[in-house]
Amino acid sequence: MTFIDFLNLLIAALLLAGIYAVMSVGMTVIYGVMKIVNLAHAGFMMMGAYFAMELNERLHLDPILAALLAFPFFFLVGIAVHWLLVRWLPHSDRPTLQSLLLMFGLWLVLQNIGYLVWGNTDRSIFTPRTLSIIDLGPISISTLRLVVFVAAVGCMAILEIALSRTWFGRSVRALIQNRYAGRIVGVDDEKTARLTFGMGIAFAGVAGALLATLYSFDPDFGRPFLLRSFVIIVLGGLESVSGVALGALVLALVETFSIFFVPAAYQPAISFAMLVVALVVLPGGIASLWAKRRRLA
Amino acid sequence: MSTAAYAPSRAEARVRLLVPWLLLAVLAVLPAAGLTPNLIRLLFITFVWVTTSLGWNLLGGFAGQVSFGFAVFYGLGAYTAALMIDRGVNPYISFVAAGIVPAIASVLIGLPTFRLRGPYFAIATIGVSEATRVIMNNLSITGGASGFRIMEKGPFRQVDHYYTALGIAAIAVTVSLLIVNSKFGMALRAIKQDEDAAADLGVNPFAYKLAIHAVAAGLTGIAGGVFARYAAFINPPGVFAFQTSIYILLMPVIGGIGTVWGAVLGGLVFGIVEEQLVANFPQIHLLLYGGLLILIILLEPDGLAGLLGKIYRRVRRSRRADGNTHSGSREADEVLRRAGGG
Repeated sequence: MTFIDFLNLLIAALLLAGIYAVMSVGMTVIYGVMKIVNLAHAGFMMMGAYFAMELNERLHLDPILAALLAFPFFFLVGIAVHWLLVRWLPHSDRPTLQSLLLMFGLWLVLQNIGYLVWGNTDRSIFTPRTLSIIDLGPISISTLRLVVFVAAVGCMAILEIALSRTWFGRSVRALIQNRYAGRIVGVDDEKTARLTFGMGIAFAGVAGALLATLYSFDPDFGRPFLLRSFVIIVLGGLESVSGVALGALVLALVETFSIFFVPAAYQPAISFAMLVVALVVLPGGIASLWAKRRRLA
Repeated sequence: MSTAAYAPSRAEARVRLLVPWLLLAVLAVLPAAGLTPNLIRLLFITFVWVTTSLGWNLLGGFAGQVSFGFAVFYGLGAYTAALMIDRGVNPYISFVAAGIVPAIASVLIGLPTFRLRGPYFAIATIGVSEATRVIMNNLSITGGASGFRIMEKGPFRQVDHYYTALGIAAIAVTVSLLIVNSKFGMALRAIKQDEDAAADLGVNPFAYKLAIHAVAAGLTGIAGGVFARYAAFINPPGVFAFQTSIYILLMPVIGGIGTVWGAVLGGLVFGIVEEQLVANFPQIHLLLYGGLLILIILLEPDGLAGLLGKIYRRVRRSRRADGNTHSGSREADEVLRRAGGG
């Protein structure tokens, strides 16, 4: 591996990490506030991809713009789903199998609505930007990936501001830390949960729309990304937004650089294997490594 | 469990003991009654599904460990049987091996993943099953992604397959009934309710989970082997599919998680409905099950078996109210129902 190869791969990994972060952050906030493992995340990502495709084909909107429009749309969808299904689940401060199976059922429903509406052929979104490349001497960057990265980082920045500056964000952080204490100091946990669920689904939709510009998709689109999201949020420590960025970076680096060590056919197995290893070895996320060291010192 | 919420009278208990034997006898003589090959095939597939449903229920229903990875065992069983039958080994010996190989695999999978609890275990099993499919797609001894065709010597006799499938379903029911009433089964139920409390009572959750995982994997693997012999062609995207895991999970959950007859009911309903729907409307089929899963989780956690039980008790109660006896029993029934269903 020459230095240039290394640099090219590093840039590719960084750009990948951006979209990975957006894809996982919705799952993290829902898990943090409601302790629900949202398997339907994959279904909403798939819906986001088709949302962008439909807007692109029917209204000739730029897919990146469509991705941004996906945010309010899927926010409302998320609130509707919460009102219709999720709020009937018994509250728990630990993840329950009931909620897991409910979200799994919802995923099945979404996926098969996808099959009914769009069929099972591979679709893709093609724009003039898709194949263009920015050349910087020996280093080349895909324009589209750069644009997607910028959009992804923008989303993360907005989320970070919302969480740190607004009343809603403070409620979310309070509930993540301690649901009961949050209620004692006057956080409306029902309302916050509803908004959080909407936001989590909105991020799934945006991520799906952004990913649709990079990869081809079918109604089973979300599944490999769902597993990657799990790896990322486990690496990130499950409940922290900044942890997600770290986890996304780690997974993107491992996936990108593993092509040197693992045959391409076995490539998909890496994230799955990492998932199990991460769950078993690092249940507290990467940050727990430092935390442990600090406790020892 | 709601079925345990009221004490059956002696006559009822006798009927309950008789029904399974009657069912088995009817199913055993059915082929002689001149069924069409298509119906025999439908029943064959249904028995295979019932077996996997019971297998999953041992781990998911009794011990409360929801796994999304049973396609791994189904697929390993299918491939084990396929490779052995293809080399001329007696099919029934191959089926035994098709149970042993997945059982060993289940221990290897369980050793790391049973350190996780509840949903984390469930998520890890998704990872395991996806990784297994990728690996099986690339292995050369199994023909990789292009699949494996089984050449069995001797004539094809559909009735043989029918009785094999009926036999393994009966074995699965027997194993489940033996476990549910044993000390082992009670330990599993304790683990399901509270792992820490179970550990305090001297039950080693890790060892028990590994043991039941192996039994469940063995049953599922045998079912996979029996299916492979009938299908005569298997490939990783088929038997190792995430879809297969989903089917195996849906049956007992929809039928009635944690009860033997609920799992049987789920398998029966699924097998019959699947065969009719999947050929014509594959998407509607899973859409239907997804919707059913949502409804069951929110409204009737005991599944179809719980629903039937409820209807049965309501009918009985109204009949008793007509006779105007036991004025207090309605309340008692209600209290018991609540206590049992909670």
